[in-house]
Amino acid sequence: MTSSPDPASDDGILLSFPKGLLGFPQLTAFRLFEPPDGYPLKFLQSVAAPDTTFTCIDPAAVKHDYEVPLGTEEAEALALESLRDAMVLTLVVIPEDPRRMTTNLAGPLVINTRTLTGYQIALNADKFPLRFPILARD
Amino acid sequence: MLVITRKQEQSIIIGGEVEVIVLGISKEGVRLGIKAPRSVQVHRREVFEAIAAENLAAIEAKSSVLNAAALLRAAQVKKPEDR
Repeated sequence: MTSSPDPASDDGILLSFPKGLLGFPQLTAFRLFEPPDGYPLKFLQSVAAPDTTFTCIDPAAVKHDYEVPLGTEEAEALALESLRDAMVLTLVVIPEDPRRMTTNLAGPLVINTRTLTGYQIALNADKFPLRFPILARD
Repeated sequence: MLVITRKQEQSIIIGGEVEVIVLGISKEGVRLGIKAPRSVQVHRREVFEAIAAENLAAIEAKSSVLNAAALLRAAQVKKPEDR
């Protein structure tokens, strides 16, 4: 049995994305929460448009050596004093056959857990796949 | 669309705070330098569009998220616990 976190968990945390997500610049306030029985997936739900809910995951659960190269500019934009204050999430795409779900390692969300402010960062898609398979193929 | 001709080392200034400089022109392409405040994100169009498309695709597929989560939990049991 995996130890799933408290299913009756709180309402999640409110996060601010001043620039929105790429393609969604107008959505800047989000609620991050884990749906019941949703572990390890999380939902990032727009406060203004709750129908717009992104599925995401802690990429460390998918690819242990995944590291976002944080240039100082990005760290500064995030006002990150230390990388320990950063939470990283990647968005998950679930196709009709969920076994083929992927996560986007090229566009991670980096969140300052102190200020609860996040940005989506665009990485080089040659090195960081846009569609990294989450379930290892046997 | 505004069209401007620029030579190497010439630049344009947008909105008083973004400068786009032509660094070099060759058969391979035009090399541009961009000076912008940190609050302005600069992306190659195709990178921006690819990530925006994945973002759109990541909007909750209600029916399948819990199913997918269950698959992930099942798979993680098999995974060695390494960090």
